[in-house]
Amino acid sequence: MILFDHVTKSYPRDKHPALDNVSFHIEANEFVFLVGKSGAGKSTLIKMITKEEMPDDGKIIIGGIDLDYVKKRHIPHYRRRIGVVFQDFKLLPTRTVYENVAFALEIAGMSNREIERTVPKVLDLVELSDVAYKFPDNISGGQRQRVSIARAVARQPKILIADEPTGNLDVETGRGILDLLQKINDYGTTVLITTHDANAVNHLKKRVITLRDGKIVSDQKDHGIYRLDGDNDGISLPQPGHLHPETYLIREKKDTPRPRRRLIQ
Amino acid sequence: MNKQKTTSRLKSMIKNSNHHYMRNVSRIFKYGVIGFGRNIWLSITATIVTTLTLVLLLATIVAGAVLNSTADAMREKIDISIFFEPGTSKTLLASMATTMKKDDNVKNVEYSTSEEMAEMQMQDAKDKGKQDLVAAYELVGMDLLAKNQPAVMRVKVYDTSYLDSIKRIVNTDEEFREHLSKAKEPTYDSNSSTIATISSWADIATKGGIALSVLFLVISTLVIFNTIRMAIFSRSEEIYMEKLVGADNSFIRGPFLVEAMMSGIFAGVIAGGLGLAGYNALAPKLQSYDIKVDIINNFLMDPRNIIMLFLALVGTGMIITLLSSRLAVHKYLKKF
Repeated sequence: MILFDHVTKSYPRDKHPALDNVSFHIEANEFVFLVGKSGAGKSTLIKMITKEEMPDDGKIIIGGIDLDYVKKRHIPHYRRRIGVVFQDFKLLPTRTVYENVAFALEIAGMSNREIERTVPKVLDLVELSDVAYKFPDNISGGQRQRVSIARAVARQPKILIADEPTGNLDVETGRGILDLLQKINDYGTTVLITTHDANAVNHLKKRVITLRDGKIVSDQKDHGIYRLDGDNDGISLPQPGHLHPETYLIREKKDTPRPRRRLIQ
Repeated sequence: MNKQKTTSRLKSMIKNSNHHYMRNVSRIFKYGVIGFGRNIWLSITATIVTTLTLVLLLATIVAGAVLNSTADAMREKIDISIFFEPGTSKTLLASMATTMKKDDNVKNVEYSTSEEMAEMQMQDAKDKGKQDLVAAYELVGMDLLAKNQPAVMRVKVYDTSYLDSIKRIVNTDEEFREHLSKAKEPTYDSNSSTIATISSWADIATKGGIALSVLFLVISTLVIFNTIRMAIFSRSEEIYMEKLVGADNSFIRGPFLVEAMMSGIFAGVIAGGLGLAGYNALAPKLQSYDIKVDIINNFLMDPRNIIMLFLALVGTGMIITLLSSRLAVHKYLKKF
């Protein structure tokens, strides 16, 4: 579902590359944490997925789409296929909770009737029905993050990217948000979360990819199968470069499991 | 292989997207109108700056028209007076007038005999209610009054800067030289400075008016552009977020343009109202200073002209605000 193959990205003013020869593959329906300190390259990686940034080298394939061939005019359509959640929520301050969620559907040209049918269900999913007509400034941080998630999943994307979704929240509220993301994953959405919060990672016990100075230093499933750091207990692992995008693209189409259930009925 | 598959997937994505042009347009208008209300302080600021621009523009145009018309009127009034000995006959004056009219710069020639001048002097005294003067003239008698009154020829010219040929006629033509008043010199020399001043005012009114209008337009467009740019800067996060959610540029830009358009419409209507009110308050004062406002009064007599004026102001306001807003939004659309 998400493939990075030998991806390198440098910024002109930085001495070291933001991403250095990064390769990993996230299967459909997986739930993955991308961890690392500030400056490790997590945000750059997310920006590559949302096509805000282009790699200097390497290949990125998201949901069977090779980003090399996504032209500028295709970007809005491409972005509608992935849901993105931010640490600072990025809600429209002059629109109500309902309007913020509806916005994601309006830009896709959905009819008013469909929007009126869908938005209440999404708000119900994130437990925000009672604040639907409040403005973002008038609700709590946890509620704002739920609005952000509701907006991201309203179009039922196959991939949900969350950049430090618990970063601005207390532990308890953060756990609530993680449980909600787990629930979304249970419905068949592939979830990738960046974080440097150990509590968040330990709470769900999912696959963890660790970035340090732009390099993947460990890729560990709960069984340790995906360790790539040399301490892999003798399990034979394909080295970076094993991922052949051509093969992947074909496999992706054939093998990607469809979501088991619709998130919003 | 990758390219083919990606392209076909992108094509199907675009095909599957619901492209409802009218639905999108109505949403853009809806969010534009809502945004105008919810960002009311920014909207008010943009409207005020645009209104000031339009009022200044209107004032410059009106001032140019009024000054021009005043200068024309004053030019009309200016003539060169050539005085002849009392008793110069009408036939002689007509003959000299014919000579004078041959000059290309001469627009019109009028003349009055001594008797006619005496009549006019008496009438003027009566009109002004100067009874003592009327009594004195009656006492002297019109014949005697006429005998002391020089005959006058009034010459109107096209260009007040070139009077040499007229001076030449006055100084060299036999008839003129023979009958010129010895007591009163022709007035072209004493009027020349007034003529020059009025000419330069008229020139300033014409050329300066256009230059000022253009200058105001440029300055105010820059001011409005910066006002709107600052307003949009404070909402740049919104643009960023909308782009990330997958909104295309026209959907993001649209509501900003609708808001700008509304500012332009309100500014045009307010500027028109202020302009009319200001003109109605100032016009009587201007008239009292002998400034000719008839051209504006005549224009405003026709209700269609007033509608046209408002439409022009609204149109100009919309062009300025839409242009500024589009430029400002473009910067952020390009950035993200």
